[in-house]
This record gives sequence, structure tokens and C-alpha cells, in this order.
Amino acid sequence: MIFNSEILIPIAYAAEEVQTGGVAATLGLNLTYFIGQLITFSIVLLILWKWVFTPVAKKLTERTEKIEKSMRDAEHVTKEKQDFEKWKAEQMVNTRHEASVIISKAQNEAVKTKDVILLQAKDEQTKLVEQAKSQIQQEKNQALTSAKSELADLVTSATEKIIRRKLDEKKDQELVKEMLKSL
Amino acid sequence: MLPLPSLGAEQVFQIGPLPITNTMVNSFAALILFAIFAFFLNRGIKKYYGQPHPDPLLRRRGEKADKAPKGVLNFFESILEFILAQIDNVTKDRKKTLKFLPIVGTLFLFILVSNWMGLIPGTGSIGIHKGTEFIPLFRPANTDLNMTLAMAVFAVVGSHIIGIFTIGFFKYANKFIKLGDIYFAIKSLNPVKILTAVIEFFVGLIEIFSEAAKMVSLSLRLFGNIFAGEVLLTVIASLIGGFGAYLIPLPFMGLELLVGAVQATVFAMLTLVYLTMATAEIHGHGEEEHREQNQQQAGAVARH
Repeated sequence: MIFNSEILIPIAYAAEEVQTGGVAATLGLNLTYFIGQLITFSIVLLILWKWVFTPVAKKLTERTEKIEKSMRDAEHVTKEKQDFEKWKAEQMVNTRHEASVIISKAQNEAVKTKDVILLQAKDEQTKLVEQAKSQIQQEKNQALTSAKSELADLVTSATEKIIRRKLDEKKDQELVKEMLKSL
Repeated sequence: MLPLPSLGAEQVFQIGPLPITNTMVNSFAALILFAIFAFFLNRGIKKYYGQPHPDPLLRRRGEKADKAPKGVLNFFESILEFILAQIDNVTKDRKKTLKFLPIVGTLFLFILVSNWMGLIPGTGSIGIHKGTEFIPLFRPANTDLNMTLAMAVFAVVGSHIIGIFTIGFFKYANKFIKLGDIYFAIKSLNPVKILTAVIEFFVGLIEIFSEAAKMVSLSLRLFGNIFAGEVLLTVIASLIGGFGAYLIPLPFMGLELLVGAVQATVFAMLTLVYLTMATAEIHGHGEEEHREQNQQQAGAVARH
């Protein structure tokens, strides 16, 4: 059914054309058509190049780069955060240690100061006691001295009175009583 | 029976001196489609890219941020992400990928859309009668060897130009005309090296022919596959009359969708490989000789 004249005749024509017009003509090659198609294709290329591929491909590449950069940055930040946490923990330990050292130092200092103050206070106390004692002694001595001199005066004046008057038993006794009263 | 498409594209009308073929109509339709797509995409770009930052503090500093894209832009971004990953697999270098993307991506999308447009109803069936001949108004762009050859020439020539700009003219020329290698081989006075260099010189000349073969194979592969698909669909539709003519071609149309995508991928991937090869630095004999020479010179200086 395929091999009917409608198919065979064009093939026969084509074979004839090959003999007469050459292969190029049979295949329909024609410089004008060729240039026409080349121009059409060039315009399509221009349109797609300038307005389709270049802007979108540029944007896609930019976007890829941006995403890659963000991923790297995020990794970096995570690492920095980890480093910071580690550093922070170390610092906390250090700080605690330092604080305890300072506190113990202060305690030692306080104990020392307390001892010194106590010693000083004791010294002061003994000094004061001694001072008071010596003062008391002095005053006692003074009092004794003045009492002695007054007694002497009294004895003298009494002796005088006795001598002025005529002495008798009765009067003598009265005199002694009087003397004793005035003492 | 529907008429089988002829190998060459047919001229449908003429604008001034310019003949317009039915494949040109299709490639132009694809162009308009891409222009509309680019227009809507750029509206999305304006709307979603570089908007004031949502954080008021950063906004006051004039920082910009992108809003989550929606619609066309979002759809295209997902496709582009995939394409970029595929190209990265071959180039192993994002900078090169961005450099090659417009060429490879355009080839891929243009071939894909052109191929699939050939399956839209009306393609091949709407047309004009010229005498007894029926000329369809629309014909898939890649069933025209002019189209595929134009792209192949563009891809191969483009790869050479980019290669020259990337690694320098003389280094690049030495890939094909290996006079530099012969020079260093003769200088070394090593007969084995001279012999190798002479053989390499002829290999280089053969490389020039292989460059032409690249264009031929690229263009004919695409043309052959898509044209064969058209013929296949026509023949299959003609096999059974009546309602069957509508049902039987359906699985083959599905197949053509697949073929269209595969051929677009093949064309784009091969172009990508050519581009990558052209921009690769060659660590040839010349450089080795150079290094040896430098070492010898250094040794001589030390002896003095």
C-alpha cells in the first residue's frame, strides 16, 4: 500500500534532481534561505541572551553565592558562640577561685588585726592600772604627811595650854577630855 | 493521501526581493513567541528582583532584596537552574557555564520550541495551492536544512571564535596547524620527537576537516530526525482511512515530542562540548619543550 505511485513518484523526482541540480539543491540548500534563517536565529539569540539568560542566570548565581556565604557565616557564628561559652565557663571558675582567695586573705587579715588590737588594749589597761596605783600611793603619802604635821601642831598647842594653866588632877583630866574632843 | 513533504522548504510568498519559505514562517513565529516570553519575563524581573529590603533598618540604608518570584519568572528560574546544573557537569566551572549558557541555552530552547511547534495542528495542512501543487503555509523550522545548517555553522564557528578569544590566536591556531610543535621538535634534535611532530602536523590538518564534518553532522542529524518525523506522521496518517486517520498517528506524535526534546538536547550538548573543547588549554609538546629548555638554560647559567 505504501509503495503506490504517490510516494514513488516524488522519490523518482528527487533522484532525478540529484542528477541534475546536485545534492545541495536536492536538500533544499539555498544561500538566501540560509542567511534568512541565520538572521532569524541570531535575533532569537540576541533576545534570549540579553533579556532572558543573562539577568536570570546572574541573579541565580548571586543567590547561590549569597546562600553559601550565609551558611558559612552561620557556621562561624555557631563556632564563635561555642568558643565564648567555653571561655565564659573558664572565666567563671577563675573568678570563683579568685574570690575565695580574696575572702580567705581578708579573714586572715581580720584575725591578725584583732590580735594586735587586743594586745594594745591589754597594754593600755596595765599602764592605766599602774598609774592609778602610783597616784593612790602618792595621795596616801601626802595625807599621812599632812596628818603628821597637824598632829604635831596640835600636840604643841595642847602642851602650851597645859603649861599656861596650873596643873591639877582635876583640871588635867578636863584638859585631856577637851583635847580629845577637839581632835 | 496527503502529499509527502519535499526535502527542500517551499517558498510561500515574497516580501520585496526577499523570498519567504514556509520554514521561515515557523522560525519567525518562534521568534515572536520568544519575544513575548522575554517581555513577560522582564516584567517579572522588574517586579521581583532588586526590591526594597523588607527589613526597615536595611531599607533605610538603601539595601535591596529579591522577592520570591512567581509565575513566568519562577518557572523559568527552575528550568534555568536545571540547565545550569547540566552545563556545570560538562564545564566544571561556573564562569565558563555562564559564558556558554546564552549560546547553548538558546540553541536548546529554539530547537525544542521549533520542533514542538511542528506538532501544532495546522502545520503542514494549512496551505495554498500553486497550480496542482499544494504548499503548506507552516512547516517545522528544523525540516529545512538551511535552518539546521545555519545553527550548526553558528555553533561551530562560534566555538572557534570563543576559543581564539579565550586561549589566544597562536595557541589556538597551533591546534590545527602545528608548526610550533615542529619548530620545538627540530630544536630538540630528537628524531623520534621530530617524527611525532610531523605526524601530529598531519593529524592537525585532518582536524580542520573534522571541523567541517561537525557542521555537516550537526545539521544533518537534526534535519534528518525532524524531517523523518514529518514524513512518518504523514505516512501513518495515510495508512488507514476514515476515523483511524486521526487515532493512529497519536502515539507517533507522542514519539515526536520525545524526538524533538532529544534532538534539542543532543544539538545543545554537542555544541557545549565543542565550546568546552575549544576553550580548554592545551598542554601540548610545545610547552613541555619550553619547560625543558628553560631548565637547560637555568642549568647552563648555574654552571657558568
